[in-house]
Amino acid sequence: MASLISCPHCGTRPKEEFSIRGAVVARPQPGAKEDAWYRYVFIRDNPKGRYQEYWHHAAGCRRFLVVDRDNLTHEVFAVTDATEFAKNAEVAR
Amino acid sequence: MALTLLHRHVLDDHISGFETNANPNHLSVFRRPVIFSVLAKVGQERAVGAALEAAADIAVRTCAPGEWLAVSQTSGSETVAGQLSAIVDASSVDQSDGKVLLTVSGPSVRKILAKCVAVDLHPDAFADGHSTNMLIGHVTGNLARTGADRFEIIVPRSFAGSVFEELMEMGREFALTAAFAGD
Ligand SMILES: [Zn+2]
Repeated sequence: MASLISCPHCGTRPKEEFSIRGAVVARPQPGAKEDAWYRYVFIRDNPKGRYQEYWHHAAGCRRFLVVDRDNLTHEVFAVTDATEFAKNAEVAR
Repeated sequence: MALTLLHRHVLDDHISGFETNANPNHLSVFRRPVIFSVLAKVGQERAVGAALEAAADIAVRTCAPGEWLAVSQTSGSETVAGQLSAIVDASSVDQSDGKVLLTVSGPSVRKILAKCVAVDLHPDAFADGHSTNMLIGHVTGNLARTGADRFEIIVPRSFAGSVFEELMEMGREFALTAAFAGD
């Protein structure tokens, strides 16, 4: 058990307790054009470096978290509850 | 036709044949604990948590924000159901038949658990009364500290055999014994 993720609810946990659910992509409005939905569902950048992903804390609080990390250096910058994250994104918009 | 239902604990087959004299490191299985899952309405987590803590004869185990297990070894399920339904903005479900309650205690308990969980159990990091969900072996369960050298584990019933076998194997070098509480 190597990579440690600090869950804001449960504390520091091994990555085995989580299930990675993919990139944090803003969901299009319900009436958005088909290509916006196509991009949302299928197209990912797969960057090398800093990346935001949904992690589900399956073996802990079972909350969805947003893990902001560098997939090259494994440095973790922030772990936020997805509800908090969405609220903050709403405020920033 | 009269139907007679016999209560058999899921760990009955696992425990029979074990040495019954408890060693200093010992695992106890509780035959019929009352375990309810409790959820708070969004925004009412604090109030529900406080009301739960105040409930008599109920031990509260934290699972997630706004989610707990209410455990009682003294009250019946009707009593606990009544107490929980009186808490405003909380909903609860009886999970007693779906969960298994174990306690592990003794001077080597932290060494045994260190082989099963990845959470720091030093008292500075995991104080008496603290509880949380975590992987125990390969099973998601709730672990609580109920004393300096005493931990309580709640796991889903169908995984209890696997968790029990793993704990016994990890405890073998410390002569861990197991029995039903009160037997
Ligand atoms: Zn968590």
